[in-house]
Amino acid sequence: MSGKRLVGPSAWIFGAAGAFIGVVAAWLVSQGNPGNMGLCIACFLRDTVGFFGGAKANMGAVAYVRPEIIGLVLGAAAASFATKEFRPRGGSSTLLRFVLGFIFMTSALIFLGCTVRAWLRLGGGDLNALWGVLGIVVGVSIGALFLKGGYNLGRAKHLPAPAAWLGVALAVALLALALASASGTAPNGFTVTKAKAFATGTTPPAVFLKGAGGKPAAVLKPEGAALAPDGSIVGADGAVVASAEAVAKAKPQPGGKRAPLAIALVAGLVLGVVAQRSRFCSIGGIRDVVLVRRFDLLFGVIGLLVGAFVANVALGQFSMGFENQPVAHTDALGNFAAMAVAGLAAVMLGGCPFRQVIMSGEGDVDAFAAVLGMMAGAFVAHWQGIASSPKGLSPLGWPALGVMAAVLVAIALIKRERTA
Amino acid sequence: MLEVDVRGFSCPVPLMRTKKALEGDPAEIRVLVDSGTAKANAVNLLKDSSYDVAVDETPDGWTIVGKKA
Repeated sequence: MSGKRLVGPSAWIFGAAGAFIGVVAAWLVSQGNPGNMGLCIACFLRDTVGFFGGAKANMGAVAYVRPEIIGLVLGAAAASFATKEFRPRGGSSTLLRFVLGFIFMTSALIFLGCTVRAWLRLGGGDLNALWGVLGIVVGVSIGALFLKGGYNLGRAKHLPAPAAWLGVALAVALLALALASASGTAPNGFTVTKAKAFATGTTPPAVFLKGAGGKPAAVLKPEGAALAPDGSIVGADGAVVASAEAVAKAKPQPGGKRAPLAIALVAGLVLGVVAQRSRFCSIGGIRDVVLVRRFDLLFGVIGLLVGAFVANVALGQFSMGFENQPVAHTDALGNFAAMAVAGLAAVMLGGCPFRQVIMSGEGDVDAFAAVLGMMAGAFVAHWQGIASSPKGLSPLGWPALGVMAAVLVAIALIKRERTA
Repeated sequence: MLEVDVRGFSCPVPLMRTKKALEGDPAEIRVLVDSGTAKANAVNLLKDSSYDVAVDETPDGWTIVGKKA
C-alpha cells in the first residue's frame, strides 16, 4: 500500500480556521474597523508605527496602536506556551529577514493591504483585489521556483531563553501605550488619529469631524481653518482649502476607524490562538500546491474568502465593483505587481506576515526581525511617499517595486544552497 | 533507518526534504524537527503517505518516526 492523499484531514482544520478568521475580520469592520480591513497585518503594523511617526512621517491619518496586533502576539505566545511550542530560536539570516519584511511591507502599502487583506477585500466585493490575488499567485510561484533551486535562509539555532520573549515584550509595551491613549488622545510626543475623522482629497487635505446628520462639525486641519456657510472649508487667510464638493466627498481617515479597544484586543487574542494552533498562512497554501502538490493549506485562504464573503453579506457590508472601494485604488497593473513582489517576499520569509507576527509570539527571533522590518518599511514608505493613496500609485511606486524585485532576486541567488 | 534532519529550517523546507526522502519509499523514516509547524507538517505528510507515526519530544525539538503501515 502506498496510498498518497493530496488532501488530508488537516484541510478541514485550515478551512475552518480560515473561515473563522474571515468571519471575525468582517465582524470587526461592523465594530468600527476600516472597510475590508477587519484584519490587515500590514495596515495594522503601519498604523502602530504611525503612533510613533505621526504627521512628521506623513502618518497623521494612520496613527493608532492596533490592539489586534497586541492580541495576536499574546494569544500566539499563550497557545505555544501551553503546547510546549514556545521556543527561543533564531539566527537564520536574521538581517535578511528584516530586509524581506521591509520589502513585504513597502509593496503591501503600494497595493494597500497585505496578503491577508487581499483575500478580505475580495470577500467584501472589491474586485481590484482580483489583480492582487493574481499577483500573489505569480509572486508565490516564482518563490517556489527559487525554493526548488535550493534557496533557503539557513538553519535557525536554539537561543538562550530570554530571546524568546522579544515579541511578547514588544506586545506588552504596545499594550501600555494603547491603554495610555485609550481616551483617544495620545500621550505627549505620540500621535493618534482622531476617531471618525474625515479628510478631503485636496492638497493639503482638510481634516474634520462630522457632527449630527453627517455634516462637518469641527475642522481639525489646517490650523485655523473653519467651515464656511456654503459648506466649504476656508483657511485662516480666507482662501478656500476644500470646496463644498470636496468636503462632501471626504473619506474617513483609516487610523480613525477602529473597533473599541477591548473588542479589538480580545478578537486579536482569539485569532492569535486560532492561528497558532491551526498554522493558518495566507500564502503557504498556494506555495504548497505549486511546490509539493499538497492542497490542505490552500483551504485556509479559501475558508478566509468564503467566511469573509458570507459574513459581509450577512452584515450588509458587501459591495461589488472596482470603483469607490474602501482604502483601495483601481490601478490594475500596480495592484498586480505590488502583490507579486509581496507574495515573493513572503515565500522567501517562509510565511506570510500573519505567520511572522504569530511566530514572533512563539519565541522566533527571526520572525521578530521580519516584523521589525515590516515596521521600518511602513515608516519609510509613508515618510518618503512611496505608499499608494486611494487615488493610485505614488510616482515612486513603480521605481520602488523595480528596486525591490531586483533585491529579492539578488537575495534568492545569494542564499542558494547547492544540494545533490 | 533513513534520517532527515530539518531542524532550524523555515517553511516549506522541512516539508520539501521529508517529501523528497519519501520518494525512495523507505520502510522506516526518522524526521528531526524543532518547530511545531514543521512537526505538524511532517506528521501529516507521513500519515497521508500511509505511515504509522510516533512523535517523541527531545531537548531541542521532536523526533518523528514513521513506519510503513
